[in-house]
Amino acid sequence: MIRLIINRIFATILVLIGVSFVVFAALHFSPGDVARTILGLGATEERVQALRQELGLDRPLLIQYWDWMMALLRGDLGRSISLGVPVSEVIFDKIWASLLLMGASFFLTVSFGLLFAALSGGYHRSLMDRLITLLMLLLASLPPFWLGIVLLIIFGLKLRIFPISGVGVMADDATLYVVAMHLILPAVTTAASSLAVVARVTRSAFIDEIGEPYVQSARARGLSQRRIISIETMRNVLPSFVTIAGLQIGFLFSSALFSEIVFNWPGIGLQLYLGIVQRDFPVVQGCVLAIAIVFVVGNLLADILSIALDPRRRG
Amino acid sequence: MRLISILSNSKAYELLRTLQRDKSASTGLWLLIVFSIIVLFAPIIAPYGPNEAIPSLRLAPPGTPGHLLGLDHQGRDILSRIIHGTRLTVITAVTPVVIGALVALPLGLLAAWYERLGVLILRTMDVLFAFPMALLAILVTSSLGAGIINLLISLVIVLLPYYVRIVHQAAASQKALPYIEALRVSGTPVRTILFVELLPNVAPAAIVYGATVLGSIVVTAAGLSFLGLGVQPPLAEWGVMISEGRNVIFIAPHVAALPGAALTLFVIACNLLGDGIRDALDPRARATLSYQANLSK
Repeated sequence: MIRLIINRIFATILVLIGVSFVVFAALHFSPGDVARTILGLGATEERVQALRQELGLDRPLLIQYWDWMMALLRGDLGRSISLGVPVSEVIFDKIWASLLLMGASFFLTVSFGLLFAALSGGYHRSLMDRLITLLMLLLASLPPFWLGIVLLIIFGLKLRIFPISGVGVMADDATLYVVAMHLILPAVTTAASSLAVVARVTRSAFIDEIGEPYVQSARARGLSQRRIISIETMRNVLPSFVTIAGLQIGFLFSSALFSEIVFNWPGIGLQLYLGIVQRDFPVVQGCVLAIAIVFVVGNLLADILSIALDPRRRG
Repeated sequence: MRLISILSNSKAYELLRTLQRDKSASTGLWLLIVFSIIVLFAPIIAPYGPNEAIPSLRLAPPGTPGHLLGLDHQGRDILSRIIHGTRLTVITAVTPVVIGALVALPLGLLAAWYERLGVLILRTMDVLFAFPMALLAILVTSSLGAGIINLLISLVIVLLPYYVRIVHQAAASQKALPYIEALRVSGTPVRTILFVELLPNVAPAAIVYGATVLGSIVVTAAGLSFLGLGVQPPLAEWGVMISEGRNVIFIAPHVAALPGAALTLFVIACNLLGDGIRDALDPRARATLSYQANLSK
């Protein structure tokens, strides 16, 4: 098992090096002058010249990458054009709000995903099964940026139940209640489609289990359907549930980006959007890199967890 | 030619029959046929041009006489813009799904045939896998610059790792079969083995994947336009329309809500048909799940 995990960590480091190269190359393959792109359109010609000298843009690409990588390892991601502060500061400032949103969305995805799967798969072909299947089709098809706007209109503007903007959620004096109220709409928006996918796949796992002989014998022994679903079959459904839930992390990152923008959630996704709008390339680069690193490391942890949980691979 | 004959022979007919029996898949198919008709005849169906503005009726609500779905912030008819917008929305999603498959097929086949090259190709794909879908598309479009062509390029890049992995898997399992071995010892050129013999057996896997992924690509494409990285205003496209409507949700929520409803309906249609095709052609998808569950008992 230790060997497998070390292999996985080694592979992840290679992937991270590749990721950093892609992010680096994205700047250098973009049309136009690199120094001009980094400094923004407002910079004077002298400053652009000076940066061109500093970056050594006439040197081979790989050497430039090496320098960039060394700076990155020191935590130096360059300076934001629009904010005038180091990009690394911006990222550490914003990442907590994003992690909070991701955590809440992941919780919704797994808990409601499993609940809906059990309620529909456990009662296959019932009215409830049909209704939930229909609801899941709808949830899986809702674009997050539109779902966010609709929830905002209904619950924020018409019913006035929830606040319409996430700004203030990271304030020092925010109580748990305030944070939770701010969190609900963005988290639902982020989780919707992943939740539906988890529910759908886990539902078929439940249906497959319900047909097994051990379930019939449990039923013959007089166990209730509720007990059969929640206890007897649950253990056998869990592996496919864990696998599909782990695969959703990437989709959650994508939807979180949109829901941060729609709800003005002060996280990395919103910062990335502002960076795009303001043509602040160092910020875009830094945010993409930060999200990719969190994503890759998250996948590694999920992988290690599933290796540790799986007796066949424990070795 | 082989590919065309494979697609048009009885297998394709059988698939269509299976889809017809599947109630939700045929609903999806019919919806997509309606959307295709709208794409083809948008200028004839739409009551107004996409940028024809009546400033005096700005932000008028749905039900305004002559304007079933109301008007937007510039006084443009929303129904007409949704109808015209179907074109760009469908094109920006379908094109990368098709081109992605065409690029991935040779890459996947070569990766399966030449193992060293395969390691290189697959490791490169692993790096692309390390980015969440929307994020990679954002990185590429913000680097190349906004616009329709760059949007298409970015979506092809986003799709490549998934396609290549699927084609590689299919090709690798075919490669072990006796008929390929026979071709190899009989001295058939590699070119012929890969692109005449293997391709028709591998292509269906890519086509099925393309059908199932279309729904998420529609969302990603419209999402990039929503962010200002894809189709640019004043062109009519649903993502652009939602983004423009977002500025006026306090006074006229219908401007953002209606194009999004059209988008959702289109994604539902794609997902219904995609699931149907996967279930019809790949019963293994479900079998695999129960197989995993059985193993862990």
